[in-house]
Amino acid sequence: MIEVRELTKRFGRTVAVDGLTFHVKPGRVTGFLGPNGAGKTTTMRVILGLDHPASGEALVNGRRYDRIRHPMREVGALLDAGAVQGGRTPLGHLSWIARANRIGRDRVVSVIEQVGLAGAARKRIGGFSLGMRQRLGIAAALLGDPAVLLLDEPVNGLDPDGVRWIRELLRGLAAEGRTVLLSSHLMSEMELTADHLVIIGRGRLIADTPMRELTAVRDVLVRSSRAGDLATALAAAGGTVTAEDGGGLSVRGLDPKEIGDLAARHAIPLHEVTPRGASLEETYMRLTAELTGGGAGR
Amino acid sequence: MIDALAAEWLKLRTLRSTFVVLGVVGVVVALMALLAWYAVHLWEGLPPGRRDRLEVSSLPELANWLASLCLAVLGVLAFSGEYGTGMIRTTFTVLPSRGRVLAAKASVVAVVAFCTGLAAVLATYAAGRLIIGDRPIRGQSAEELSRQMPLFLALSLSIAMFALLGLCLAAITRSAVAAVAALVAVWYVLPIVVNNVPAPWNERIGSILPGALAGQLAGTGNPQSLGGALLSPLAALAVTVAWVAVPYTVAAVLLARRDA
Ligand SMILES: Nc1ncnc2c1ncn2[C@@H]1O[C@H](COP(=O)(O)OP(=O)(O)OP(=O)(O)O)[C@@H](O)[C@H]1O
Ligand SMILES: [Mg+2]
Repeated sequence: MIEVRELTKRFGRTVAVDGLTFHVKPGRVTGFLGPNGAGKTTTMRVILGLDHPASGEALVNGRRYDRIRHPMREVGALLDAGAVQGGRTPLGHLSWIARANRIGRDRVVSVIEQVGLAGAARKRIGGFSLGMRQRLGIAAALLGDPAVLLLDEPVNGLDPDGVRWIRELLRGLAAEGRTVLLSSHLMSEMELTADHLVIIGRGRLIADTPMRELTAVRDVLVRSSRAGDLATALAAAGGTVTAEDGGGLSVRGLDPKEIGDLAARHAIPLHEVTPRGASLEETYMRLTAELTGGGAGR
Repeated sequence: MIDALAAEWLKLRTLRSTFVVLGVVGVVVALMALLAWYAVHLWEGLPPGRRDRLEVSSLPELANWLASLCLAVLGVLAFSGEYGTGMIRTTFTVLPSRGRVLAAKASVVAVVAFCTGLAAVLATYAAGRLIIGDRPIRGQSAEELSRQMPLFLALSLSIAMFALLGLCLAAITRSAVAAVAALVAVWYVLPIVVNNVPAPWNERIGSILPGALAGQLAGTGNPQSLGGALLSPLAALAVTVAWVAVPYTVAAVLLARRDA
């Protein structure tokens, strides 16, 4: 459980986070979205006690991060995969982290295997690719078998196998009852991974909703050789019908079953009945449109 | 605290730059041996009457002077190596108490610096004795080890002081370049500047410079260096502690207050 309350963080005159409040609950993957510079990384840094907020607070399992005795055993975080010293090996890097939080040596070996770095465990990190560094960062986050995970753009640089691996890993961890906060700019990936979304812009909360509601069924696309007759019948039955380019009808207010039954009663042939949800990308674009104003933002 | 100490010790041991610095200290000792051999060569080549004109700096002290810069760099790297890569954020997520991280790094660096310094000084002394033998070359003490030990311990303590100074400067500036520049200023430039200050201030200020403290600590004075020698051993100890305590306090306050 992560609680962010009325959090404000300034850098000089930039307000990076502005009175932000949200909770990240256990048992689900919470996606953390927002345009570049929205304050996602800053929020995570405050949660981890790295940045001091101007006001408000961020609590992990009910207390401030810096009050946790062995934080890696409660919270696993990956903020910046580059934040390692190239002169060390994964074994060396994970060993000191494990030692600092009294985590057994066997965990070091097992997370290295889990993230697929077994073959590179004794090679210098300096020679690693971005994807390998991400894997090492994930290994460090998983090291203490924590109940809370914070990951800032963890799929950057991962190959398709790696992306799917992270997705399944995070979904599995959430299913075990853990709290997972995940930021990413990849909407399609987020749509597959997250159950809940927190969207921020310019440091303020824009949405805090289940994924289901953002991508709920919006309308049904219907095609027929007698589109005109069908439109009349659907409208009479209480549907809102709009003609689309290409001869399709967008129907709201009736579900596919009702549409099919109605067409059968009128003996109108149907060529297609497709329920359509908004994609996360579309909804996200709509929600953040005014912030980015179509430009590149900040 | 034990956990933080063990972690910092592991970190130091798993970094290549540590071994590079220790290797350079080894090279310094080898250079000292070479210098001893060269001094003997010169001395032998001189007619007996002119031999006492030849003076060579005390090799253990010279080794100490060079090793103190090496180990100060080790101290600098303990922080700047982490700031440069962003690793400091990993460190502070793993060990959220920044005061504890500073204390752990300082302890590990101080112990490594003291031991390395002592080893370098003793090795230089031994090499010097072996190579020079009982030739009475001026500047080279022929005293036995037990009589020299206070000075050697004081020299090692001053190496630890330099290393801690480097560590604190790196924590304060967060930059290797700035920290090393400040160190070289204290280590090399400041003594020259102070030497040119009008008397009696040159000697007064010269006595509290880091490089002048070991001799005063051991009570041998600073016959061969620019430094003054006005302090009693106890006063020298107090000044040595101050050279660490002041930057340490500043570093601790800044670390706690700043964003990582
Ligand atoms: N150390 C810093 N010093 C000054 N300004 C900063 C600092 N860190 C962040 N900012 C500013 O705070 C704002 C929020 O940045 P943050 O990195 O949290 O955004 P983000 O949501 O993670 O963006 P992205 O999607 O690009 O990673 C930005 O305007 C950024 O310029
Ligand atoms: Mg970011």
